[in-house]
Amino acid sequence: MTAAQLSLQQSATIESIRESDISINFLELGILPGKEIKLLKKAPFGGPMAFEIEENIIALRQQEAIMINLKS
Amino acid sequence: METATALQAKTVAIIGNPNVGKSSIFNQLTGLNQKIGNYPGVTVDKTVGFLRIGEKEINLIDLPGTYSLYPKSEDEVIAHRVLNGLGQEKPDFALVILDACNLERSLLLGTQVMDLGIPMAFVVNMKDLAFKKGIQIKTFELYKLLGVPLVLTDARNNEGIDAIRQLMSTEKFESPKPLLDSYAFADKVLVEEVMARFEFKNPYQAFQLLVFGEFDKTLPVADKEWLKEKSRVFGFDRKRQQVRETEARYVKIASILKKSVDRVKTESSNVTISLDNVFLNPVFGFVVFLGIMLLIFQAIFAWAAFPMDLIDVGFAGLSGWIYAHLPPGVLTDLLAEGIVPGIGGVVIFIPQIAMLFGFLAILEDTGYLSRVVFLMDRLMRPFGLHGKSVVPLISGMACAIPGIMAARNISNSKERLITILVTPWMSCSARLPVYIILIGLTVPDTLWMGISFQALGLLAMYLLGVLFTLLGALALKFILKTKEKSYLLTELPIYRLPRWKTVLLTMFNKSKIFVLEAGKVILSISIVLWVLASYGPSGKMQSIEEEKTAVLQTTPEAEWSAVEEMYASKKLEASFIGIMGKAIEPAIRPLGYDWKIGIALLTSFAAREVFVGTIATIYSIGGDVENELTIREKLAKETHSDTGEKVFDKATGFSLMVFYAFAMQCMSTLAVVYRETKSWKWPILQTVVMTGIAYLAAFITYQIFS
Repeated sequence: MTAAQLSLQQSATIESIRESDISINFLELGILPGKEIKLLKKAPFGGPMAFEIEENIIALRQQEAIMINLKS
Repeated sequence: METATALQAKTVAIIGNPNVGKSSIFNQLTGLNQKIGNYPGVTVDKTVGFLRIGEKEINLIDLPGTYSLYPKSEDEVIAHRVLNGLGQEKPDFALVILDACNLERSLLLGTQVMDLGIPMAFVVNMKDLAFKKGIQIKTFELYKLLGVPLVLTDARNNEGIDAIRQLMSTEKFESPKPLLDSYAFADKVLVEEVMARFEFKNPYQAFQLLVFGEFDKTLPVADKEWLKEKSRVFGFDRKRQQVRETEARYVKIASILKKSVDRVKTESSNVTISLDNVFLNPVFGFVVFLGIMLLIFQAIFAWAAFPMDLIDVGFAGLSGWIYAHLPPGVLTDLLAEGIVPGIGGVVIFIPQIAMLFGFLAILEDTGYLSRVVFLMDRLMRPFGLHGKSVVPLISGMACAIPGIMAARNISNSKERLITILVTPWMSCSARLPVYIILIGLTVPDTLWMGISFQALGLLAMYLLGVLFTLLGALALKFILKTKEKSYLLTELPIYRLPRWKTVLLTMFNKSKIFVLEAGKVILSISIVLWVLASYGPSGKMQSIEEEKTAVLQTTPEAEWSAVEEMYASKKLEASFIGIMGKAIEPAIRPLGYDWKIGIALLTSFAAREVFVGTIATIYSIGGDVENELTIREKLAKETHSDTGEKVFDKATGFSLMVFYAFAMQCMSTLAVVYRETKSWKWPILQTVVMTGIAYLAAFITYQIFS
C-alpha cells in the first residue's frame, strides 16, 4: 500500500521510499521510514494531496505519493 | 568605503530551511542596509546586508532558503558555492538558523554545514512555538553533542537578536568535528584526488563537489568532465551515495536529539488545521482564493491608479518646469521630452510592482501562498504550467512586469520559462485605454438583455488574452525540451501573522531591482524613440517650423493652439518615425491600417497606452488627451482622403484590438524577461513570435470583417 491509497484522516507508518530521482527530496523534507503519515486533504479532480508528518504538512502530487510505501 | 574597511570587515553567511525565520533575523540585524546584486551566471539574487557592532564591520550574506546542500535548483548550488568559496571569497563564518519545532529536519542542513569545516554557530529560532508545543531543548547538552555554539531566539518578537549580535562581535564561532566520515561514502583515493585538484582542505567539500558537479552551471566544462570521468573510474554512484549519506545523517541526528530534547504532551489547539478546513476546502477554498485575487487585482488596477496619476502629473510638471526655466535648445528638448518622460515611464510602474509584491509577501508570510499552489496545481498542469504559475499569470492582468518577476518561485526551469513567456498575453492594464477607445468607435452602445455590447466586447478581449495564454503555454509544453521532471513536494507552513517589516522590505527591494535593472533599458529606448519622433531629414523639419512661425503671425491668438496642433502633426509626419510609419504602410495595409496608425504602432513599443497619445497628435486632436471621449468623437469623423470611407470602421478597429492583444509591444517587459532569463534569446523570440501571431490574427480579423 502507498500513501496515495490512504483515505482522509487515515494514518499509517512509512515503510520505505521508492528509489527515484527525487527520493532525496522526500528525505530532506523529513519523510522518513518509520514516521507516521496521515492524509489531511485532497485537492479536487485528482490534484495534490496534503499529508501530516510530525506536525508538518507536506503537499505532494499523486505521482509522488505512490512513491511512499506504507506498512500494512 | 569598500577599500579601506573591507580588509577588516568579516563576512558571515546566513543559511537555513525555508520558513524558519531566516529573513526575519536577517532583516532585524541589517534593516535597510542591504544591497541586492547577482551571483555570476545565475538568476539568484545575492542579498548582502551590512552591520556595525562597536568597531566591528560585518557583511552578512543571505543565502537562499534550502532544506539541504543537495543540488536541485540554482538556489541550492549558490549555497554550496558560497560556503565552499567557489568563484567567490569564502565567508569567514556561517550562521545556521534552525527551527526549534523541527530540529531533526533543520539539523540535516545544519550538520552538512558542520562537515564543511567552516567556523559556525547555530541560531535555534521559534523557541516560543517550541515551548508551546512542549518541546524542551537542553541547550548545554545540545552544545556538547554538536560542538557548535548556539543561541535561542524568537525573531518575530525580536528576542535573542542581541545575543546574535554579541556572538558575531566576539567571533564566538567554532569549527566543529565533522558529524559523518566522508570516506564512508566515496573512495578515499577519489576524495583525495578531488581535494588536490580543487585545493580543498576538507573531504566533505570534495564529496559535495562529486555530487554537485553536474548541476553547477558555472563550473568549467573541463572540471565537469574530469569529475564525471573520475566518478566513472571509481564507480561513484552519485544518487545512491547521496541517499546513503542522508540516511546516515538522520540516524546520528536522532541519537543526538534523543539525549538533548524532551517532549511533554501538551493540549494545543491546531489553528492551522482548522483554517485549512476552509482554505483547502474543494469549494470554499476556491471561493476564498478568487476573493483574494479580486482584491489584489482591484489594488493593482484601481488603487495604484492614484499614485500613478501623481507620478504622471509630476513628471509632466517637471518637463514643463524645464521648458520654463532652461534656455531653449536641443539639450532642453532632450531633457524635457526624452529623458524626463523616459524616467517617468519607469517610475510609473513602481506603485503596481510594490503593491503586487507587498500582497505576495503577505500571502507568502502568512503561509497562504503554498495553499494556492495546492489548489491550482491540477488545473495548471495540463498546460505545462505549475501550481506556482497562477500568481504570475493573474498579476499579468495588471502588468506583466511584476508577474514575470514573481515567476522566480517556480523551481522547474521549463515551467518557469513557459510562465515567463506567456504572461505578456494576459490582458494588462496598458491595453485597457486602447481597447476602450477602439470599442467605443466600433461597437454599438446598445443593450442586449440588459448588458451593454461594449462591456461584452471588453470582456471578450480579456477572455481572448486568457485563452491564448493557456494555448501558448500548451504549445510551449510540446516545443520546449527538458530533462527535468516536474514534481510537487512542498511544505504547507503553519499560518502566522505577516511580519510588516519583511513585507515593506520586499516591496522596497523589488521596486529597486526593477528601477535599477529594467530601468536602464527602458530609458535608453525611450530616448531613441524620442529622437526618432523629434528629428527628420535635415531641412524638412526646419521648413515646417518656419512655416508655422509665419502662419502664427497672421492668425489671431485664439486660434494658435489649433495651428500648433496642426503643425505638431505635420512634424511627426516628417520625422524619422513618420517616415518609418509610411515605410511599413504596405506591410500593415492588409491589416486595415494606414501610415498614421503605423506610427502609433511604432511608438506603442514604448508602452501600449502611448497609442492614445500618438493617435491624438497625428490626427491633430490636441486638447486634453486624457479625455478619451473627445478623441473618440474626433476619430469617428476621420475618413480616408481617397475613398471617403471611415478610417476606424469595424474591420480596422477589431483588427487593431486583436493586434494589441497579441503583439509584444512593451519594452519594459522585454527588459524584465532579459533580466529573469539572463539571455536575449527569449525576449527576441517573444517579440518575433508574439508579433507574428498578432499580425496573422489581425490580418484574419480584418479580412473577416471587411
